[in-house]
Amino acid sequence: MSELKIQPPARFRMSDTASSMESAWDDWWAGTRNVDLWWTLAWYEIVLRYRRSLLGPLWITLSMGAMLLGMGPLYSALFNIPLNKFYPHLALGIIFWNFLSSSINDSCQVFISAGPFLKQGEFPRSTFVWKCIARQLIQLAHHVVLYVPVAIWAGITWSPRMLVFVPGLLIVLVNLHAIAITLGIMCARFRDVGQIVASTMQLLMFMTPVFWFPESLPGRARFVLYNPLAQLLDVMRVPLLGGFVAPGTWWFLGGLTCLTVAVAAILYTKKRAHIIYWL
Amino acid sequence: MTFLKLDNVSIDFPIYGARSKSLKTTLASAATGGRIGVNTEYTIVEALRDVTLDLRAGDRLGLVGHNGAGKSTLLQTLAGVYPPTRGTYRRRGTIASLINPLLGIELDASGYENILIRGLVLGIDRRTIRQTTPAIVEFSGLGEYLSMPVRTYSTGMMMRLAFSIVTSIRTDILLMDEWLSVGDEKFQQQAETRLQEIVSNVGILVLASHSRGLIERECNLVMELTHGVASSPPTRLFKGNL
Repeated sequence: MSELKIQPPARFRMSDTASSMESAWDDWWAGTRNVDLWWTLAWYEIVLRYRRSLLGPLWITLSMGAMLLGMGPLYSALFNIPLNKFYPHLALGIIFWNFLSSSINDSCQVFISAGPFLKQGEFPRSTFVWKCIARQLIQLAHHVVLYVPVAIWAGITWSPRMLVFVPGLLIVLVNLHAIAITLGIMCARFRDVGQIVASTMQLLMFMTPVFWFPESLPGRARFVLYNPLAQLLDVMRVPLLGGFVAPGTWWFLGGLTCLTVAVAAILYTKKRAHIIYWL
Repeated sequence: MTFLKLDNVSIDFPIYGARSKSLKTTLASAATGGRIGVNTEYTIVEALRDVTLDLRAGDRLGLVGHNGAGKSTLLQTLAGVYPPTRGTYRRRGTIASLINPLLGIELDASGYENILIRGLVLGIDRRTIRQTTPAIVEFSGLGEYLSMPVRTYSTGMMMRLAFSIVTSIRTDILLMDEWLSVGDEKFQQQAETRLQEIVSNVGILVLASHSRGLIERECNLVMELTHGVASSPPTRLFKGNL
């Protein structure tokens, strides 16, 4: 047997070629453009989940529907808001909150769960980030169906204003992608970050207007709305309710996007090559 | 032109104790401005040290060395798994690794689906996969089992499938950890023929093995690793000088 060659503790460093900005960009782009790979991997993850159960991912949709049916009348009575105003708000709140929170929780496992792939060859790291996002999008497509009967019942009609949802979703996706890179790398190195994220998301659910109306906040408490998730939720929900997204929301999200992308870019550049050593 | 070039490549593995892998200990050490006990420290294991290699088309390198000498780490580094911690690695040509063909097989998916997924993972486009699927199906000899989930396969059958997929692709560089023996007697002959065919067509072969006979038979260069260090540069292999 061999003797271990153990060095005294020192900073673990990578050779410089692996951590230049340019190679990071090339790596990111190489992973991003291989849509067929990450989409197929995400697709099969969903399909395989369906295969062994009758309803598969639809179970989540179903339980979400049950939650809506139960919570709608109760909370509209509690908050004293007419049900046809409250129901669409609640439905989209729950649907999009689920999308945001499960995306963020999943991001923690992005690279850890990609271990079997990363250990067999050279893969652009962004592939697995996109795979995570793609899977969440497919899930969202399941859940968003719930909104249709609610909207019809509440008398919300189609208007071109709803198209604002598209750029809204895009901005959300950019942010989720950047967050997934950041959390994915941090969780690969520090395994307890996942726990912290999970409990933070739970807390944030109550701090975010998922169930309640932002208008009902007293003036002093409006700072709660500066929580990024409230804004990310708003930019998807408001257009589908037929409303206008406030200019402040766009500004806030613009700033947030710059921040998350910058952090993700730095981590991706500096730490991308380390990931495999941490798995 | 196909080539593989390692320039003073070192691979260091950081080994984190269970406690130093947590954020808390790192934060604690940052907050107090020093290391607390030994928990916040981690050791580095040198898996490879200053390995230099220059392989060109036609080279067949055999890697020998005791267990833990770094043969597999070197193969994985060549496959692109580990970016060198020091030194540079350059190559030209497509690379295929038979180091662990079972890695990444999706157990719940059927054989056919695994052909598609593995194909995409190996970097082949959908059309080419569709075209080569019949050949893979035929070679694997798994017949109707290919529509069944892979979890119902025996280990031998899984190996057959994985081997058939990986070896159906043309490649310039082939990495192998020991000679593969796959499946039952009949399939073994078939696999042997294909492996021989690939090995003789491939530009560069790197084969790690404990069997001197095998290396004498397949390789024209040999390098010995001891504790992660190449004890000599690759030397040309003549009959009987190993």
